[in-house]
This record gives sequence, C-alpha cells and structure tokens, in this order.
Amino acid sequence: MTIKTPEIESSKNDGDIELSLPLQQDLTDWQTGHEFTVVGKPHSRLEGAEKVTGRAQYSADVRLSGQLYGAVLRCPHPHAKLISIDTSEAEALPGVHAVISQNDQFDIDWYSEEAPLFSDQLRFVGDEVAAVAAVSTEVAADALRLIKVNYEPLPFVTDMDQALADDAPAIHDGDNRVEEDSEYERGDCAAGLQQADITVENEYRTQTALHTALEAHGATAHWSGDELIVYESTQGVHAIHGLLCEKLGLPMNKVRVIEQHMGGGFGAKQTLWKPTLFAALLSRKAGRPVQLLLDREGENLATGNRNSTLQQVKLGASNDGKLTAIKMTCRINAGAYATAGEASNVAGIFQHLYHCENVKTSQVRVYTNTGPAVAFRAPGYVEACFALESAMDELAHKLEIDPLELRRINYTGRDQTGDKPWSSPDGLKTCYERLDEEFGWSQRKAPSSEGSIRRGYGLAAHEWMAGMGNPPAAVFIKLNTDGSADVVTGTQDIGTGTRTVLAQVAAEAIGLPMESVRLLLGDTAIGGVAPVSQGSFTVPTLAPAVRGAGENLRRQILEAAALLLETDATTLEIKDGEIVSTEGKHKSLTVADVCDELAPQSLQAHGSRRANPTDTTIRPFGALAAEVAVDTQTGEITVIRIVNAPDCGRILNSKTANSQVIGGVTQGIGFALTEERMVDHNIGLVLNADLEEYKIPTVADIPTITHAEVNLPDLNANNTGAKGLGELPLIPAAPAILNAIFDATGLRFTQLPINRARVLAALQAQQETAE
Amino acid sequence: MKAFSYSPAPTAAEASNEKDSRAEFFAGGTDLLTRMKLNIVSPDALIDLKSADLPNGVSEQNGGLTIGALTTLRDIEQSELIAEKFPVLAQAAALAATPQIRNRATVAGNLLQRPRCWYYRNRHVDCWLKGGSDCPAATGQNQQHAIFDQSPCKAVHTSDLAPALVALNARVKVRGADGERELSIEDFFAPPTEDRRRETTLADDDVVLSIELPSDASHSVYLKAMDRKVWAFALVSVAAIKSAEGWAVVLGGVANNPVRLGPLEKALENTDASDHNALDKQHDKAFADAEPLEHNGYKVTLAKRLIRRAIEQLSD
Amino acid sequence: MSDNSPTSGKQLVTMTVNGEQTEVAIEPRRVLLDVLRHDVGLTGSKKVCEMGDCGACTVHLDGAPVYSCLVLGIECAGKKVDTIEGLAKGNQLDPIQQAFIDHDAFQCGFCTSGQIMSLKALFEDSPKPSDEQIVTAVSGNLCRCGAYQNIVKAAQAVRDEAKPETRNDD
Ligand SMILES: Cc1cc2nc3c(=O)[nH]c(=O)nc-3n(C[C@H](O)[C@H](O)[C@H](O)COP(=O)(O)OP(=O)(O)OC[C@H]3O[C@@H](n4cnc5c(N)ncnc54)[C@H](O)[C@@H]3O)c2cc1C
Ligand code: SF4
Ligand code: FES
Ligand code: FES
Repeated sequence: MTIKTPEIESSKNDGDIELSLPLQQDLTDWQTGHEFTVVGKPHSRLEGAEKVTGRAQYSADVRLSGQLYGAVLRCPHPHAKLISIDTSEAEALPGVHAVISQNDQFDIDWYSEEAPLFSDQLRFVGDEVAAVAAVSTEVAADALRLIKVNYEPLPFVTDMDQALADDAPAIHDGDNRVEEDSEYERGDCAAGLQQADITVENEYRTQTALHTALEAHGATAHWSGDELIVYESTQGVHAIHGLLCEKLGLPMNKVRVIEQHMGGGFGAKQTLWKPTLFAALLSRKAGRPVQLLLDREGENLATGNRNSTLQQVKLGASNDGKLTAIKMTCRINAGAYATAGEASNVAGIFQHLYHCENVKTSQVRVYTNTGPAVAFRAPGYVEACFALESAMDELAHKLEIDPLELRRINYTGRDQTGDKPWSSPDGLKTCYERLDEEFGWSQRKAPSSEGSIRRGYGLAAHEWMAGMGNPPAAVFIKLNTDGSADVVTGTQDIGTGTRTVLAQVAAEAIGLPMESVRLLLGDTAIGGVAPVSQGSFTVPTLAPAVRGAGENLRRQILEAAALLLETDATTLEIKDGEIVSTEGKHKSLTVADVCDELAPQSLQAHGSRRANPTDTTIRPFGALAAEVAVDTQTGEITVIRIVNAPDCGRILNSKTANSQVIGGVTQGIGFALTEERMVDHNIGLVLNADLEEYKIPTVADIPTITHAEVNLPDLNANNTGAKGLGELPLIPAAPAILNAIFDATGLRFTQLPINRARVLAALQAQQETAE
Repeated sequence: MKAFSYSPAPTAAEASNEKDSRAEFFAGGTDLLTRMKLNIVSPDALIDLKSADLPNGVSEQNGGLTIGALTTLRDIEQSELIAEKFPVLAQAAALAATPQIRNRATVAGNLLQRPRCWYYRNRHVDCWLKGGSDCPAATGQNQQHAIFDQSPCKAVHTSDLAPALVALNARVKVRGADGERELSIEDFFAPPTEDRRRETTLADDDVVLSIELPSDASHSVYLKAMDRKVWAFALVSVAAIKSAEGWAVVLGGVANNPVRLGPLEKALENTDASDHNALDKQHDKAFADAEPLEHNGYKVTLAKRLIRRAIEQLSD
Repeated sequence: MSDNSPTSGKQLVTMTVNGEQTEVAIEPRRVLLDVLRHDVGLTGSKKVCEMGDCGACTVHLDGAPVYSCLVLGIECAGKKVDTIEGLAKGNQLDPIQQAFIDHDAFQCGFCTSGQIMSLKALFEDSPKPSDEQIVTAVSGNLCRCGAYQNIVKAAQAVRDEAKPETRNDD
C-alpha cells in the first residue's frame, strides 16, 4: 500500500491544524459514565522498580568526577551581629577547595526582606554564616570547625506573643509585624453575634511543625563551561531555574535544573534555599562539581516550618444550628524572615466553608528569632481547620445537634467571597454522604468505656483554597516511528505519582496502551514551563495540557489513518494502539503501522493549559471521621480507625490516590499527637532539630485508614475533571481526632499536639473538678 | 566526627590498660557514635571491645544467670531463658529502641549510655553535666526531665534495662586496673556529683565484663509509657517483680538513676492490691518527696498509674 | 601500614558487599553508610538523620539489619554487608520488592530501601511472620510520606503467598 503522507503543520504550535476532529477546547466528554481504558485504573508507579531496587537516583546520589562535598556553618545564636569571620585556617586545610562567607561580598539578596546572602545580622539559630567545599564530608566538617567567627549576641525574642510586647527587641526595623493586619469582613459580624442564640468562643494554639522530608534539601552543582547544571531536590525545577538565573544574573539558557526523583518536600522545597546557591558558588570557586546536602540539624533549623498560630474564634448560631456569625483573629509566627511561595491562609476556611452572612477575619504575621516559616502541605488550612472544626464540634455539642447534621445545616454551594458558585456545588455534600456510608457515622455507637479505656468518634470538614491548577503549562508529545510516544513535560514527580498519572492521561487521550507511553519530566532544558508542585496544583495544571496534546496527536494519527484506509477520519478511533472503527471494528492497522508509513516523517503535538473559568470558583473539599480510644489512666491515645472522603474531582489513578490519602492522614496524626518543634525561649535554642525528639508517626501509630472515594468529575474545572488531592487528607485529620477525644472523654483540647503530658494534665484537672 | 584511631582490643585486661582519658571503649557504638557526631565527646582513639575476650551471651550459672557485657538487646529479647525466668528484662529489652538498634546495642553500653536530655545533646549548650556551671533544663523545657532531685542535673536515665536490672538486684562484674571485681547494681549507678559528672561509679579504665542475676523473677513485668507506640525513650517506666521475698518496684525515666521505691515495696506486702484507696495512699507517700519541675508534673501521675497497673497485672 | 600504632589516617579494609569481596581505603571515622555510598558506589542506602533515628540507611551486617550510619566501616573488616542493591537478581525482583510496587508501599521512595531491608531480614528469620512481627520489623523505619499502611499490606501479601519452601537462601 502506498499513500500520500499527510501534511503536518508543525509550525502551528498547538496542533491547531484544520482537521475535522474536535479541538482541545471542546473536550467535555470525560463525564461520569465515560468509559476509560487507562485513566482511573490503579496503575502501579512507573518508577517503582527503580525505587525498590535502590537504583533511583536522587540528588544526593549524583556522582560526578572530581565531585566535592559541601557543608554549612550556622549561627549558634538566636540573634547576633557578626563582627568578623576568619576562614584562613579552613582554607589552608588539605582537601578544602573553597570557602565562601561574608568576606566574598556577593551582591545577592535573600528572603522577602532582601537581606544579603551572607548577612552580618544573624536572626535565628541556624542562620547561614559560611560554606565550604572539600574532598569529603568529613574534611568539610573539619573545615567548619576551623572557621573563627566573632559574634556579638543581641537581645532576642523567640516567642510570638512576647515579640509583640512593647519592649520586645526589634528583629527587623519596626514592631515585629511582618505587614499590616489583613482584614476581611462581610455582613456585620458584631450584629450576627448579637442575633445569635448561642455562641462558642475559644483561643486555639497550633504548634510549629517541621516538614521532615526524609531527603534533606540540597543540590549538586556543576559548571560546564559557562553553563550551570544543578541536580536539585525540589518541588519545582522551573522555579529553581528562574530563581538561580535571577540570583546569579545568568540567562536562562545557561542554567539547567534536573531532578528525576525526590525524597519528599511537603511544601518546604517549593522555593530556592541558600544551600543550592552555595553549591553553585562553591563549585564556581573550586572549579569542580559540588554536592551540598544539609544534615538533619540544618534541615530542621533553616529550611522552613509550618508556622505556629494563635487563633481567637467566636461562632454565633441560632437554636436551629444556623451560623449567624464567624469571627476569627489570628497571629502567625513567621520566624525571622518572610519566604516566597504559597501563603499561609489561616482566614480562608473561616470565610468559605460554611454558609454565613456575617464573617470577620483578621490575620497578621509576626517576626520571631526562629527559622523562617514556609508553606507546609495546606498552609494555614491545617492550622485553621483545627480551630474552626473544634469550635463547630463544640457548637454541635451545646446545641445537641449531630456534628454531621450541623455541617449540613450550614452547607453552601457558593463561594461567598467571590459571590459565584463552586465549580462542583455538590462536592462537599457528596463527601458527607460517602463519609457517612464508609464510616457508618449515623449508625455509630455511643461513646463507650471499658475499664480505663474510653472510645469516641469525631469528624471534621474542610475546603481548600488551591487544588484548581492554573496556566501556564506546556506539553509536547513526540510519536516515535514505532508508534510509541514520549510525553515531554516540565513538571516533576515529588512522590505523588505525577509521572504515572500523566502517562495514563496521555495514553487515554492518544489511545495507546500504558507500555507505549514514556513520560519525561524533571529537566528544565527539555520540558516546557510548569508550575511548582504546591497547592495540589500539578495534576489539575498538567493533566489538561497533557490531554490536550494527546487529543491533538490522536487527531493527527486518525487523519493519517483515514488517508491510509481511504475513509473519513470521523469514522475511526484508536484503541490500545490499534485503529478501529467508531463501532469498534478492527481495521488491521495499528498506530505503529501508521508511523511506519509516515517515516521518516513523524507526528508531534503540543498542548497547553487553558485559563480557568471566571464564572465559578474551583474548589476541592473533604470530610474525615475518626474513632479514637483514650486510656484515662495513662493518657495513652490510640487512633483506631479513620475514614477520609476527599473531593478531588475525578480520580485518575485509584492506587496513587489512596496513597495520598493514607499519607496525608498519617501526617495529620503526627500533627495532632506528637509533632512539635521545641524552643527554649530563655536561651533561644531549638531543642529538637533531629528525628529523635521531633516525633513523626511510626508504623505502630497508624490506624486503619480508608479512602472513601468520592470520584466526582469536575468538568467545570478542566477537561479531565480532576482537581488536586495532595493536601486535602491532612487538613481535617487533627480536628477529627481531637473531636473524637472530646467525644470519648469530655476533654476539649485547644492546643496541639495532644501528647501525654497534656492529656494527663487535663485528665487530672477533670478528676479534681469531679471530686 | 573528629578523626580518631581505632583498635580492636584482644582482651579486657589490655583494653583496660590501654585506656586513657583520650580514648573511649567502643561496643555497639549506638550511643557513643551519636555523641561523637554531636562533638559532645571527641576521643582520639576508640578501643573496640567486641574483639576482646568479654563474655557474650546468656548462660545459667549457680542458679542465677550471667549476661555477658557484649550481649545485645536482641539476644536478651530473644532468649527463651530470660523470657521464662526474667520476663521483666525480656520485656524491657523488647521495648527499647528499634530492631536495628537492638541488633547492635550491648547490655553494658545500654547501662552506660549517656542522657538524652535535649540540652545535653545540643552542642551549643555547655551545661552542668558537660562541665559547665548550670542546668538550663531546670528552668527551661523540662517535660522529659527528672521528678526526683538527685543532683544539679535534671536528666533522666533512659535505659530500659536499668530499672529491670535494679529490680532484679543484679550485680556487675568489672575488670579494672586492679583486676576483676563485682559490685551491686545499686553501687554501680550513682547520680552525678561535682567531681564525677556521670551516672555511674565506674572508673575510667573499668571494663564491664558481665551482669549477674542472682535469682529468678518469673512473676515480673516491665511497663513503658511513650509518646509514640514504639521507638521512643520512656516518659516513665516501671519494673515490678513479685516473689516469695516480696515486691520490687523500680521506676525509670524519673531521675538520674533508676529509683527503687523501697517503702512502697514494703507497704505492698501488707496491702491488698485490689484495694485502690490503700494503694493510692501508699503512692502518695512514695511520691511525697518528688519535686516535679515546671513542665513535668504529669510524670508523677503517670508513674503512679503505671505502678498501679503493674501491681494489678502481677496480682491476678 | 609500616608501623603498628593505630592511626586516624586511611586504612585498607576488606569486606564482602553483596557477596563480592570489596576493598576500600577509609579513615576509621568513616561510617559504613558513607563507605557504601562513597567508596563502594552503592547509593541505595539513604542518609537521612545519621543518628540511628530513621532507618533509611538499614543494611544487613552479617545477616542482621542495622543502621549503617551507626557502624564504622573499619569494624566491618571480614564481615558480610548486604544492601538493597543485592536483593534483586539482575532484573528479577525479590518478592518483597514486587509486593512494594503492587501495593504502592512508597511515595517518594526515600525510606523504601530501608523498609525493604528490614522486612527482608524478617522473612529470612520467619517466612510466615505474624502481623505484629511485621509491624515490629519496620518499627525502626520512619516514612514521612506515610506509606506505612501499604508497607504492612505488602509484607502481608508476601507472607500470604510464601509457601514454606520458597524461603530464600543466600
Ligand atoms: C535511636 C536510638 C533509640 C534508642 N532507644 C532506646 C530505648 O528506648 N531504650 C533504651 O534503653 N535505650 C535506647 N537507646 C540507647 C541504646 O540502647 C544504647 O545506645 C545502647 O544500648 C548502647 O550500647 P552500645 O553497645 O551501642 O554502646 P556504645 O555506644 O558502644 O557505648 C556506650 C558507652 O558505654 C561504654 N561501654 C560500652 N561497653 C562497655 C563495657 N563493656 N565496659 C565499659 N564501658 C563500655 C562506651 O565507652 C560508651 O561510653 C537508643 C539509642 C538510639 C540510637
Ligand atoms: S539536665 Fe543535666 S544534661 Fe540536661 S542540661 Fe541539665 S545538667 Fe545538662
Ligand atoms: S540515617 Fe541511619 S538511621 Fe537515619
Ligand atoms: S516513601 Fe517517602 S519517606 Fe517513605
């Protein structure tokens, strides 16, 4: 068979050639009931074999010839002036190849405050003072010990409340407020509280929590001529790329950032931190590749944290449970500097979760002499959900209304701040239904007691301000001459399964089996721009672009097949790599055959992320219920069972989605019960910059966690119907657990985490009042 | 870690002879290496005891039991002999640390481990125990610290084996400059003093050879309260034994050394364990001289309740 | 070395790594984890806390799982060290590795080699472990991604599929 090769206009970027098949814009067909062959299936991770064999290469595993090892000298004082620094002995140590410090006079600034890279004002324990590169990590550590620094300790304040006192030392110029209070009001909150039949009011405190990704921050930097190549552990290769160019004054075509695997970030790796730049500067100075990875102490002190908060919450309601007013005032511990990235929006959930006409919120960030805060998986919402949902539980208890019913009574399908509907107005309602089904909330037993053990149940709901995805994202698919496809993206897989899920979307859109699709990511020199993997953005940003590119490619394949088969392209489809009729009949022609006929020409297609709709607000939601046992003798808390029903739109891969749910809930258990960065406010030191006393959950701390799938495609959001999931499961975990503890014991905790010390103190107080 | 030399010792005697103040004995290394990495100790030389002729493993001897100094926590956890005759010790070993640590950690090292006080482990703090002048924990974040005042240091002993071995009236066999000697475990442990800022009375060149257990304690239990279900140091722990001779009740996690509650042990002989009121009274007496710090009052409650639970379990 | 007095300088040490005689020149202060990652070139064991707190560096030393960050390389002279890289035979995955993939027992994968090595030791000791034994085996392996539930499921699947005679001998 000989045919005329179709003309493919590769100059038109989005594959917008005049074809008879529908364009990307019209892709509304992935409705509920649509039959999928790949999407939604529990596909195992594509990089699985690499990860279980130890062959996956993380940033720390890069080995380049002549590679040196870096280390960072940190300030041991919470606040100090650097008088002088002498690095000469370190430089003279055999094996040391470069030392950088204030003496180098780099013209580079850092943080939102534009502090110098090496400042003589040191504002927290762990603030970077110098960095070295040497032939081994041991020699690098020896070199740090040889650097002589003369510090003048300054008055400091590490406690957020004390930082606002009139006589508190100023951390920057001014009164230790990072900015003006950010205020919001709708309706008349005071009047709403007046109208209320009942009010609840409490002050809630959440702790400083540490991201604790197992892989520390760090990078391997290597100059090849005047081009800088950086292997980085990051949630955003393109963000790092842009920031490195900006800080080093380099054009973008001279910097390349690579990351194939990363060992966890949870928000802390969404922006550039100093160590990566140090690696680049040391490497330039030494003329050799430099790998600089933080030790756990540096990681815990100086690469961000979930800001602690103090929230004053007051709810007013009528006797039938309707909220008449919500008031929240909040203080946030920003640490010593303001960092870029996702904002900690504590106020958001108070404004959005429930129908309420009178809402007033106010939040302000406060400087302290502690490590800077940065977004941590649902920043603000995790802290705020604890307060709001504890208060709602208290309200339900006082009104003697079932907690789930109270939430239904205050349901809203609208974005009350933007005055438009949610993209899936029934999303949260469906979460409630699924939660009720899977947990058996309505059928739950009364709280029970057996010996010293009390059992109880609690729940919490939430929305999440992100998870909608946003342009830009550009995707390019190249069809190889054997009919397999390379999908080229500029995103990264931070362990969430991006590689796998996007490959599924591509396979589905083109009509290829999974084995025929390779998904490329994590290299700024290859992939087009993509957002940082933060705010549960990756899937809802990339998947629609991948689908668009895939559909464009499919149209081209079908056009070519139609020419070969001398038929109309609209009568054809691609299934599993084969050309079939729209009725499903085989045409004895495969995608590979089409490619073969086209060779040496090949097909390629582009896709890009379209803007979000403006007439609706895209929102993911969720609800979670917990069953908890409390030993009233010893204060031991055991989480027995958790069910989480998150509305993330369409579930593209049930296996990786489940993992997100159990993972997020597991982190929530740590936030509720054990995790807290400890600071001695007398001497300003962080006491648990380690994994020993910063206690994340172990395997034995975990209950049975069930993902109650909601799987409600949100086609108002984008052409795949998928929204973000990554952050959702963590948000409601702590309040649900705490509400269950209340149900079991009658103890209402307003400060996290609820460790033994706090439980026992409260139990004791309870017994004393009972006596 | 600063550079050091390493030599495997052929015998305990040579190890003891070789030892000077710039050297450290090295067994499983699970405590020593963590302190060296934090630059809390920086020896010039490590003397590895694992190659020496120290007794290793568990053996029955004249009605009692000998546990070689190099015996690992895992050996103890898995010994059928210990599980049967000294459940308190088997349980203590099984609840200590993690499987990987238990595979390396030796019994001697476990008794000689240094505090986990987070000021002590912070290399920027020059606290009293490290030779400095005061104890920041006394007025600082002392959630995990001592409720019994034994010295200017408020750190607790974190060994899980220690309370069990104290309850068992263990004896410690040591090889020092003057040859071998044996001391009771109560003489082995001692709160730090101005001139001896550590938790035992061992001399610098003393090598622990073995732990001797005089008699069985098949009716015994070890309870450990932690902030996680596994892998955490004890907030409070209790080792309790009931035998023909009476009761033994020893607390861990409450002081520089394990604390034997002697008067409570005596009182228990004449108290009905199911009589909570009577027990509570005895408890209040036992803790009358407890001096909790600002943040660790909960440990008093916790200790009382763990003891009550241990007594209940042994009274069934 | 010419003289017998111990030195803090580099010394030649021979150990058997994944069945292969391996000679390295190392300082006494170099921990086994760094020996593996830097001198032997096996980067599957991960460096996370360096203090025995997390388990990412778990390897088998003479058959028993240990934290390689708390073992000196020099004390491994003449010993047998097994790492994650030695588990698969070529591309033939160990059943635990396959079960980890099938049950999605990891996300970022940074704790994974440690988790698998801990379970491998368990299955070598007792091919039919109880659920409690499984939990205990990985109780010293932290996972920040929170994959625990699937790690336990993967181990259970290996157990439930293992016939007594499929015990691995190596
Ligand atoms: C992550 C982690 C968790 C832990 N959790 C617990 C826990 O829950 N419960 C608990 O009880 N312990 C716990 N430990 C402590 C652990 O059990 C001890 O580190 C261990 O038992 C020490 O034994 P080792 O053989 O490793 O001692 P090493 O570290 O080798 O030595 C410790 C000290 O003892 C000296 N020494 C050792 N042997 C002798 C000897 N024969 N004669 C004279 N001196 C000697 C050494 O010089 C050194 O000063 C934990 C440790 C870690 C790292
Ligand atoms: S309790 Fe002891 S170890 Fe801790 S700071 Fe005080 S003196 Fe030092
Ligand atoms: S790196 Fe060894 S236990 Fe964490
Ligand atoms: S999979 Fe990421 S830490 Fe376990």
